[in-house]
Amino acid sequence: MTSPALTTRAWSPFTRYRRSLWLLTTRDLRVRYSTSFLGYLWSILDPLVMAAIYWFVFTQVFTRTVGEEPYIVFLLCGLLPWMWFTGAVSDSTRAFTREAKLVRSTTIPRTIWVSRLVLSKGIEFVASIPVLAAFAVATGATLHWEAVWFVLGILLQAILTLGVGLIVAPLVVFFPDLERAAKLGLRFLFYASPIIYSLRDLAPLGLERVGAFNPLSGIFSLYRGAFFPEHLDWFAVAVSGGMSVLILILGALVFRRTIRTVLKEI
Amino acid sequence: MIGSISVDGVGVRFKRNRLSRRNFKDLFAGRNRRTRPGEFWALRDVSFTVQPGEAIGVVGRNGQGKSTLLKLVAQVMLPDEGTVTVEGGVAPLIEITGGFVNDLTVRDNVYLTAGLHGMSRREIDQRYDEIIEFAELEEFVHTPYKHLSSGMKVRIAFAVISRLEEPIILVDEVLAVGDKAFREKCYTRIEELLAGGRTLFLVSHNERDLLRFCKRGLYLDKGRLVLDASIREVVDRYNADYGG
Repeated sequence: MTSPALTTRAWSPFTRYRRSLWLLTTRDLRVRYSTSFLGYLWSILDPLVMAAIYWFVFTQVFTRTVGEEPYIVFLLCGLLPWMWFTGAVSDSTRAFTREAKLVRSTTIPRTIWVSRLVLSKGIEFVASIPVLAAFAVATGATLHWEAVWFVLGILLQAILTLGVGLIVAPLVVFFPDLERAAKLGLRFLFYASPIIYSLRDLAPLGLERVGAFNPLSGIFSLYRGAFFPEHLDWFAVAVSGGMSVLILILGALVFRRTIRTVLKEI
Repeated sequence: MIGSISVDGVGVRFKRNRLSRRNFKDLFAGRNRRTRPGEFWALRDVSFTVQPGEAIGVVGRNGQGKSTLLKLVAQVMLPDEGTVTVEGGVAPLIEITGGFVNDLTVRDNVYLTAGLHGMSRREIDQRYDEIIEFAELEEFVHTPYKHLSSGMKVRIAFAVISRLEEPIILVDEVLAVGDKAFREKCYTRIEELLAGGRTLFLVSHNERDLLRFCKRGLYLDKGRLVLDASIREVVDRYNADYGG
């Protein structure tokens, strides 16, 4: 019998990372879409229902004083990326516990347990962009050249979300309470971030600069710039860029220090 | 050398009580040799080296660190002290059904699990028929995994992992599952792999299995490596200590 086993694998660590990440991400998407009847619709239904509620409350019930016209487009520019952030962060509270058996039996690089969540939610976000486009067309919003900043927005958001996930995922293993705390934190952050309003609406309160220190502010302003260039706030973008990188570095450190204990606990 | 394992001064520490209070300080404590209250060493000061192609049986009573040692070699657990160096990939027959997803079909699961263990798509394509034939699941390839019987689940999992072209195989008691005919098939497969020059690490309570596959034995007791000798000597010593 020949022994092909006695040759080394030619794959670089990077290729292995990419391949494993892709396998797990496509697995998640396949499971989600093969087991539910509505499939893709689910990933856009949630933000759509939320958007419908806010649109009704703020344009029909109350007289809207925040945001821009068309308000639905303004809302979706914040709401769709928010779904990515909140989905990935709340899933990462279960990153290790849900896949405990697989984590215990494979040696793939362990940050994949978090990064795959960021990637699969990110793919869902990108897949929901046509919905935004459809609303923009239907309401006659004009698209500006600033739409190119979408790419920067996605990049910054991926960095930020991964950083937060790398902090949350291992800590939840030790402090199960953190799972509920994270849910509460996310709900708070939803209203504390410029989603139903914009950073400029905080100016009369004198909170515009403070609000910019929420790293999501700058990221959402990049997305909004596509339809409302005056909302593109480079100060907020610079702050969120810096903070996202810092959070990712912090996340990598936390993850590295705790992974040994995480593997024993799960 | 590919297929060799070197374990040097390794120790792993566990909390005695899962509910004992934790604080942020322990969490980030990293590696140090101090034993804190409420902790014990599941393994301590374990050192040995394994040459490529050796077949090693790990012997000891329950809770003496056998599975922990296997997990260290599989690199799914990291030591608190010492180093574990493994040259080449490992095919771990530990929690073999772990990577399988209930809602996907058998076929999708084979591609997924083999892929996660490092096989390329082309390699899986080549071995796919062999894997299904070994598991005797030709009629169930499009069945969702959750509808398989528990015996079938283990069969497909064993078929996939034992088909990985890795120089080191780890076996943790999985041979106790499945019906007699399939068990015999698993044994034959392991013998083939050994003949092909693989390094084998076997944890078992079954004396017959140990003597059948292994040449060398490691006897673990209370987290220490008590004896590293031929499998016959190790089994005899274990029987003498614990009355077989």
